[in-house]
Amino acid sequence: MFDGMKSKLNDISTIKLLCERAEAHALLDQQREPGAEHFLLAALDLPDGTARLAFEQVGVEPGAVRAAIERQYTDALRSIGLNANMPADTPVSTKPGVYQAAPSGREVMEELAATRKHHSPLLGAHVVGIVAGMSHGVAARALRILGVDCSALKTAADAIAGVGRLQAFDR
Amino acid sequence: MVDLHDITVPTDPDEALAAVVALRRLADSIERQAVRSALRQGWSWARIAQALGITKQAAHKRLSDVAADNGSR
Repeated sequence: MFDGMKSKLNDISTIKLLCERAEAHALLDQQREPGAEHFLLAALDLPDGTARLAFEQVGVEPGAVRAAIERQYTDALRSIGLNANMPADTPVSTKPGVYQAAPSGREVMEELAATRKHHSPLLGAHVVGIVAGMSHGVAARALRILGVDCSALKTAADAIAGVGRLQAFDR
Repeated sequence: MVDLHDITVPTDPDEALAAVVALRRLADSIERQAVRSALRQGWSWARIAQALGITKQAAHKRLSDVAADNGSR
């Protein structure tokens, strides 16, 4: 029982960190509400290191994700014949009040909530597994730019998350 | 200068929708930069809202942090 409570408290702390990091990445991206791509970057920041491990297992440098997100925007503009760079940064600040994510970010959070019974503890790899399963949107396009086989990434992330769960049971 | 006739909408929906997302992000960024510049030049929120074709309340709600950054509210 004590282990269960400890695990739940750890998960709450991880969710808090995940949301804070996602919001920080969204603001850097000049967006107020974090999307799936920002949760993916936030997962790579988590100290458990499992999100990074999932990327490494499919042969992708985790540090390349941010640049791929930016590139999918420029590629998308180029696809309609527009060569445009983002204007100089005008800082964006958070909306006051309740934490709000963009629809794709909410999808990630809802999936994390729906599968919470399988998280013991919640790991970055869980987030990677969810985002890798999204076939459309900014994150999906960024992963395609990186040449990621999303089903392989999801399999790797799910396997790592399973390992994390077993390790937690051993504690 | 961009000639709008040169803009071709991709036939692949995924590609076309990606372009829409990128254009919105670009427009948002240009809007913030323009509002910042307007505020620095002493424009009122009423004038900015009129130029954007939105209400003063809507402009302030969406862009008030640009004002905060500028040091004028």
